[in-house]
Amino acid sequence: MSETTNLNIAVVGGGPGGYAAAFLAADLGMTVTLIDPEVNPGGVCLYRGCIPSKALLHVAKLVEESHQAKDWGIEFAAPKINLARLRSWKEGVVKKLTGGLGILSKQRKVRYVQGRAEFENSTTLRVTKTDGAEEVLSFDRIIIATGSRPAIVPSLKLDTPRMMDSTGALNLEDIPGSLLVVGGGYIGLELGSVYAALGTRVTVVEMLSGLLPGADRDLVLPLHKRLEKMFEGILLNTTVAAVQDEGTGIRATFEGADVGVSEAKPHEKVFDRVLVSVGRKPNSEIAGLEKTQVQVGQRGFIQVNKQLQTDDLAVYAIGDVVGEPMLAHKAMHEGRTAVEAIAGHKVAFEPNAIPAVVFTDPEVAWCGLTETQAQNENREIKVAKFPWAASGRAITLDRPEGMTKLLIDPQTERVLGVGIVGVGAGELIAEGVLAVEMAALARDVAMTIHPHPTLSETVMESAEVFFGTSTDIYRPKRG
Amino acid sequence: MIEFKLPELGENIEQGDLVRLMIAPGSTVSAGQSVMELETDKAVLEVPSSVSGTVQQIHVKEGDKIKVGQVIFTVENGAGVRSAPEIAATVAPTEPVGPPVAASQPAGSPAPSSAPSTPASAPAVERAERRAQPQVASEFKLPELGENISQGDLVRLMIAPGTKVSEGQPVMELETDKAVVEVPSSVSGVVKEVKVKEGEKIKVGQVIFTLEGGAPVQAETTRARNAPVEHVSGQHGARLAFQAAIRAEGKTEEQALPPDQPRPASPVFSMPLQLGKVAGTEHRQAIPAAPHVRRFAREVGVDIYEVKGTGPGGRISEDDIKAYAKALLSAAATAAQAPPRAGYFAQPQLPDFAKWGKVERVSMRGVRRKTAEHLAEAWNTIPHVTQHDRADITELEQLRARFAPKAEEAGGKMTVTAIALKVCAAALKVFPQFNASIDIEKEEIVYKQYINIGVAADTDRGLLVPVIRDVDKKNIVELAVELSQLSKKARDKKITPEEMQGGTFTITNLGGIGGVGFTPIVNHPEVAILGLSRSRMEPEWINGKFEPRLILPLSLSYDHRLIDGADAARFLRWIAEAFEQPFLLSVQG
Ligand SMILES: Cc1cc2nc3c(=O)[nH]c(=O)nc-3n(C[C@H](O)[C@H](O)[C@H](O)COP(=O)(O)OP(=O)(O)OC[C@H]3O[C@@H](n4cnc5c(N)ncnc54)[C@H](O)[C@@H]3O)c2cc1C
Repeated sequence: MSETTNLNIAVVGGGPGGYAAAFLAADLGMTVTLIDPEVNPGGVCLYRGCIPSKALLHVAKLVEESHQAKDWGIEFAAPKINLARLRSWKEGVVKKLTGGLGILSKQRKVRYVQGRAEFENSTTLRVTKTDGAEEVLSFDRIIIATGSRPAIVPSLKLDTPRMMDSTGALNLEDIPGSLLVVGGGYIGLELGSVYAALGTRVTVVEMLSGLLPGADRDLVLPLHKRLEKMFEGILLNTTVAAVQDEGTGIRATFEGADVGVSEAKPHEKVFDRVLVSVGRKPNSEIAGLEKTQVQVGQRGFIQVNKQLQTDDLAVYAIGDVVGEPMLAHKAMHEGRTAVEAIAGHKVAFEPNAIPAVVFTDPEVAWCGLTETQAQNENREIKVAKFPWAASGRAITLDRPEGMTKLLIDPQTERVLGVGIVGVGAGELIAEGVLAVEMAALARDVAMTIHPHPTLSETVMESAEVFFGTSTDIYRPKRG
Repeated sequence: MIEFKLPELGENIEQGDLVRLMIAPGSTVSAGQSVMELETDKAVLEVPSSVSGTVQQIHVKEGDKIKVGQVIFTVENGAGVRSAPEIAATVAPTEPVGPPVAASQPAGSPAPSSAPSTPASAPAVERAERRAQPQVASEFKLPELGENISQGDLVRLMIAPGTKVSEGQPVMELETDKAVVEVPSSVSGVVKEVKVKEGEKIKVGQVIFTLEGGAPVQAETTRARNAPVEHVSGQHGARLAFQAAIRAEGKTEEQALPPDQPRPASPVFSMPLQLGKVAGTEHRQAIPAAPHVRRFAREVGVDIYEVKGTGPGGRISEDDIKAYAKALLSAAATAAQAPPRAGYFAQPQLPDFAKWGKVERVSMRGVRRKTAEHLAEAWNTIPHVTQHDRADITELEQLRARFAPKAEEAGGKMTVTAIALKVCAAALKVFPQFNASIDIEKEEIVYKQYINIGVAADTDRGLLVPVIRDVDKKNIVELAVELSQLSKKARDKKITPEEMQGGTFTITNLGGIGGVGFTPIVNHPEVAILGLSRSRMEPEWINGKFEPRLILPLSLSYDHRLIDGADAARFLRWIAEAFEQPFLLSVQG
């Protein structure tokens, strides 16, 4: 690769995709310029996504557990919430991590330019720096990593701070008495959980018939049941037809088959705040992009091949801006793949499993094949489930509602997918990803000694369930 | 009639709340199939049936508290009663007769509305009906947009007459009173007539456009798959849109979306991890190989999907890749050798020669075999034409005699071949296409800027062709010397392979033996070869009378792909004339 290492490359956007790409490129000896409007790299994930939301969810879990502790004989007084302190703690977390990325950039001699980039042509960028100065720079290759932003529903646009998107909700300006969350996807449920834990009465509206559409229903069920207790309302098959600013609150009008059938499903209701979390749109409207050969698909995603190369041979694109799943770890892996491709390695973005985690309480996580997908594809699989009610660790945590399942190929007994719901599912799924990527057989998983008592045993035991030999479950022989 | 009773659920669990029933009277249940969800104070359990048959009567309803041993339902035509009940830890095939797990609704959400209906079998029946009547679509009508949405304003049309649409491709944006939705086509073909205009109000069922001969559409999957794409309302919106987008972009294979979802319009993914749908990854099923093995395959240029894994469950190891690559290489090597051999050897089965007399079999290995392969290939690939001419070398013969002592002094022999070398080198300069090669693969002609001429030598090992380099830069004496040396080397088996490579043209002289003409075979990858036969005195009609002249017969075979007949005639005439006016050569030489 020696002849390629002196390439001069630019990365537009400093999110997880962008900084992962920039850092690897620098490690491979390339000259790297990383461009982003923020003071430090981090992007959506660190400034207004994964990281601040997880910091707040950690607090939410603590509050919830302090309530539950009553059942264990420990009673706490109602929590006093110092919002300013909570906010600054969250901001401290963000600063620490983004600052760290800034230092890592410097150590790698990545040139970090704070500003916005636009294309002059395939290899030239005009950067408008935050301090107002302009710079025109030329490169051998450019990687677009401009990410995504919250989607806006025109009918839900109101010019009031009471209307929030995920960024606004993470700012945590106050603890509203009531909050309407529009959209029952993972961002809405995570942020809804935070506000609920802080004392807000939260109502979630979801247009489809279940929360977390697309996830296997058996994984969603335990979460749904818990959220029913935490939230004031979960309105399924319902859409928000209109919102109206009443000064002291926002009146939302609901539509849907069940609307009005009971008091819990009202036609309209006034909320202190509304969080619109209905999805994200790719940031592909980059100025000057039309001066390149880059093609943007009909849904706004930049089109790339398996090497993350666009139709313009000098331009690559990675992360949220190239498509689903819009997740930080996918962006990072793509970023590294793109750089390796640029360096001349024969690589491709071709994972067998990308994990998805919903950081609610309980968490929901899955990877590889899902049951829903298997049905869609008419694929024959076997599903082995291990209910956490049989897990010692889950019982000691007083959280037996979880479940671990393996999706197994009946012919080869290979693990094709893993689904987990329960506390810590997000950590547990990593083993599932490894199993799928390594083409582990159910027997491999069953024969791997897992530490006791841990929730990780549920992965092993679900494999044992497949063979009908789980220690903690009695399963009569068939026939 | 067989009863299904609530089996033991586990230690200290006596009862539970029925949160969801997955069966209804008339449903077919089979043993192992989940029939209800029960919430105990520990967890929510799915309870599988231990009986099979058609559900006759259900004795419980959602919301009831149910005790272990209580009768849940009865079945008719019951069969295969299982010896013992099972609890939640089930291993169930995912294609159950009844509702699959994923289609279940979360408990607490409204139960499927009309109580006595059969949620379990209804979708299946519906599906069967749809399957029974595949529609042939020649027009596209506005499909159902979702519950309670009967119309919308057309805000953007994405097609026009002549546009090629394919199934799943968004064709318009419709603003309903809920949101703006993108409507994908359920038909494929070329748009003939668009029946709506932007700004119009459009009703479900209204014809949007017609096709020039539509393609039949498999209705079953189409309906779910082509449900309108809701892209601004709902967390999943962007996902849906994404799916539509990649379908439209033709990046991945289409996939039917869940037909058993409660609503047809819910092919959505909160975080869709269907890798086939991830940008840049085409939809191929996950390969049983660890990531480093997949990368290794890519590095060595092996399509891992072609490799058979030898590990458990077909797992592919790095060694499997290596073995496969090796096999590929040797197959390629054999293939490279095969055609000439096949070209030469592949012939109808030989008769038993011994039937008619004594025979002796001798190995054909070595030069003979090489010659055979090489000539067969040349003969097979080159369309040969041979041009004949005659050169009057009466004067040349005098020149030869004059130069002979000089050559002899230098240790060579002044032969016609040596002179022919000089003549041909001059001719090749004038006709460069005879000093070329054809690169069929690249579709290019390779003109060589050097003139190296091979001379066929008859040795007891067979035919050898030593090559004399830069013929154009050497004089006749030098050429005569070099030719003598090389021929001797060839006969003495001292010639090296290098000395027989790099030729751009070949001369073969059979004159020492006799003959009046022959058709030499072009020495591939050259494009022409000059054959010389025995020169003899012949009467030539000169200035009104016959004169005895020494005539050299010339035979030029050439590759007709590159060289036209007229050019060949001109080239050979040029050579003949050069032989006839040796004065020219002596000037140049
Ligand atoms: C509330 C929330 C929670 C989330 N939680 C998780 C989670 O738990 N796990 C997870 O995996 N993912 C999570 N995500 C998603 C995750 O944040 C994204 O998938 C990830 O940030 C995508 O990374 P990226 O590199 O593609 O782009 P981004 O992180 O979006 O970064 C793009 C950067 O490019 C900059 N930019 C845009 N245009 C230009 C330009 N012209 N010039 C210069 N710079 C430009 C942007 O300002 C931005 O800083 C969450 C998102 C949200 C909103």
